[in-house]
Amino acid sequence: MYRSVALCLLLCSSVLGHEMTPTYPEWQVSYSGGIKKTTMRLWNSREDVQYYEIGVFDDEWKPIPFVTSYKIMKVDYLSQVKFDVYIRETNIKDARYICSLSKLRSDNVSKTLLATRICSKFKAAWEL
Amino acid sequence: MKKLLITLSLILGATPILAENIDVTGTVQSRCTVNVDTPGMYGNPNAYTLTTASASSGVDPIVRFDVTLADAYHAQVSYPTAFTSSPSLPDTVSWVGTVAVAQMSTSDQSGYQAASTTSGSMRQYALAHAGTLWVKATSIATYGGGQAKAFPGGAYKAVVLAQCIAQ
Repeated sequence: MYRSVALCLLLCSSVLGHEMTPTYPEWQVSYSGGIKKTTMRLWNSREDVQYYEIGVFDDEWKPIPFVTSYKIMKVDYLSQVKFDVYIRETNIKDARYICSLSKLRSDNVSKTLLATRICSKFKAAWEL
Repeated sequence: MKKLLITLSLILGATPILAENIDVTGTVQSRCTVNVDTPGMYGNPNAYTLTTASASSGVDPIVRFDVTLADAYHAQVSYPTAFTSSPSLPDTVSWVGTVAVAQMSTSDQSGYQAASTTSGSMRQYALAHAGTLWVKATSIATYGGGQAKAFPGGAYKAVVLAQCIAQ
């Protein structure tokens, strides 16, 4: 019974939050020389959030230059967006994390807002 | 007729049964979902304090992490140290907060709080087991730099940041 409840909670969770996959993306060849790309999937089940900001960072969380169709993406409630991230080959060795951060709306109530961020990791060769 | 039936039965019996194994494959991938379980709310027990404590009519924010594989993610939760929007505040605001495990889906996770690490306002949990983890943050803001000055009227907002970072 206890396991069933836990399983239900795990499965039912997909309609309440923010999720980005894959956890460990890999760079792939793109149509342009000297540029690599990876494809990510972002799922939004936060009713209070419609926009997510994408970022690529190094080991010390310093930003790495990259290109996507939009750096702030609109992801409607209960929908998913697949997007490509492009990066110069010279930056690949530094790029460690790709993150999506929820962008919050403002209203007139005194409260704590909950920002959510999920970061996938590019594993180094020695970590594989 | 009898010979024909025997011949026919021999032919049918010799027909090989054609069978094909169809593989069903699947991959279990690691995944982390960050959920807002309870949005927080500030209560105002006196003129110079904003707090999420329920005793002061506030609500502590609770965030939920769901992970499908062990040892794939770190959960990080930070309590607020500044308002993201507020009326003009010429005096200083003092911030206090905590982050703690509120609930867990399996007893394997019982050591998470003791094993967690902190850095400033952020607490990090190594999600060493698949399952669900609820983490509660508290926040208290006091105005006036210890001189108990009244907060100016208006709406105040602060952000609790919940992160799932791949290990």
